[in-house]
Amino acid sequence: MISRLFRPVKEGFRGVIRHGAMSLSSATAVTLTLIIISLFLIFTVNVRQFTEGLEQTITINARVDFDHESAEEEDRIALAISEIDGVGNITYYTKDQEFEYYLDSFEDERTRQAMEPFRDNNPMHDAFYVEVTDGTRLEEITKKIEEIEGIFDTNFGGQSAVQLIHMLRTIRIGGGILALALSILAIFLIQNTIKLTILARADEIAIMRNVGAKNGFIRSPFVVEGAIIGAIGALIPMAITYYGYHYLYELTGGYVITKMFTLIKPVPFAWQLALVLLVLGMVVGLIGSFFSVNRYLRWKR
Amino acid sequence: MIECTHVYKKYRNGTNALYDINLTVGQGEFVYIIGPTGSGKSTLIKLLDGEEIPTKGTVGVIGIDVGKLRHSKVPIYRRNIGVVFQDYRLLPSKTVFENIAYALEVINMKKEMIRRRTREVMNLVGLDDKGNSFPDQLSGGQQQRVAIGRAIANRPKLLIADEPTGNLDPAMSDEIMSLLEKINREYGTTILMVTHDLTLVNKHRKRTIVLEHGHVVADLAEGGYVQHDQ
Repeated sequence: MISRLFRPVKEGFRGVIRHGAMSLSSATAVTLTLIIISLFLIFTVNVRQFTEGLEQTITINARVDFDHESAEEEDRIALAISEIDGVGNITYYTKDQEFEYYLDSFEDERTRQAMEPFRDNNPMHDAFYVEVTDGTRLEEITKKIEEIEGIFDTNFGGQSAVQLIHMLRTIRIGGGILALALSILAIFLIQNTIKLTILARADEIAIMRNVGAKNGFIRSPFVVEGAIIGAIGALIPMAITYYGYHYLYELTGGYVITKMFTLIKPVPFAWQLALVLLVLGMVVGLIGSFFSVNRYLRWKR
Repeated sequence: MIECTHVYKKYRNGTNALYDINLTVGQGEFVYIIGPTGSGKSTLIKLLDGEEIPTKGTVGVIGIDVGKLRHSKVPIYRRNIGVVFQDYRLLPSKTVFENIAYALEVINMKKEMIRRRTREVMNLVGLDDKGNSFPDQLSGGQQQRVAIGRAIANRPKLLIADEPTGNLDPAMSDEIMSLLEKINREYGTTILMVTHDLTLVNKHRKRTIVLEHGHVVADLAEGGYVQHDQ
């Protein structure tokens, strides 16, 4: 029973070694495509991180009308804002806090002194600072907040930040589509190479059927072989990804251009990514060889 | 053992290979099938081992209707028959021992029994000392003996040999013939041997079926080949 389970594994390893050149060429195809996929993964996952970082820095400032400053009114407004789809944290500041904040923005003491008389006749409004969960919907959310009764006005920091978020999103989606297309290409490439290795052994498969081997018995070592080739092909991309990402992180100091674009920390990201590549390589090899053997088996009676 | 009734075979490309073949071979017989190239010998073999499906009629072997077998059941049927080919068809990446053992691994025999049976078969075909050699290190005659060993390893009831001596010199051919006769005698295995070696047929006389243009033109129980008028 145990030998029946281990036979495909043993035969799979033996097949890889005995058909060394073929295995190597298949593994190379896996290696090249996995390196490219790895680059795209690093790129898109980090861009996603940038976007999220940016989104957190953007808040909508919603000021309350002077005639809606009662506690009940403000509770109602807070509730109404929190019910809008896409709204994250809401922070409330009183007009006095706002005034202090305004005063603090002046550096020299004299200007502050000059402003002091306004403290008792505060021109500031009570305000809500609203964070959004999705930066691209900033304008839409702002408009909805404005429609709430008792809101004096709204504004959000920087049209350029919103544009940047839009841009990053486009880059990310583009990168994602490209990575997906590359993965599909990789499967085709690998399936083709494995098909070649199997065609080279068509006689072997025919003989197996001749001596009475069932389809599953013939298929299983090939499938294991495909997974092994996939794993071997993943080794170099894994190493490049792991050490390369650590190196990149150290080289850049952990961010690109400004602190706003913080890179994902290499631990545990780098080895998680390496693991993803290993699994991807094995699965692709396994699927590729499964389909290739199957097609050949069907064709021969 | 073999029961062919009104078997026709027409290939998809339009070639007619066999017409109305009726054939009965009993348990323990040794039968030659002879005929010129293109007479349908190979097609008959392919019908018997399930590689091809008859266009009409039934091919029955050990009570199984071979033409009706599903793709996935064909290998299981083949465990009842051994086939030997002119080109040996050994697995080049496996040793002699592994090649013979393979036919037993396939039927899930226990490891210890596989080892014992494989040694037994290697002794029978006279290759005791070649267990670790690879097929390309052996002569043609030796390779054919490995193929015969593999074919009989799981004690099939029927052994089909398709031109087993086709690539061998007369001395080697005689050796293979006596090996087949020994198997027929000692195991009671039914043997169906396709050949066009007339010297062999006349020397080792057995029931001889003559095929020509897809028809059975003669079935000589006493053996020996009589030249048929063209």
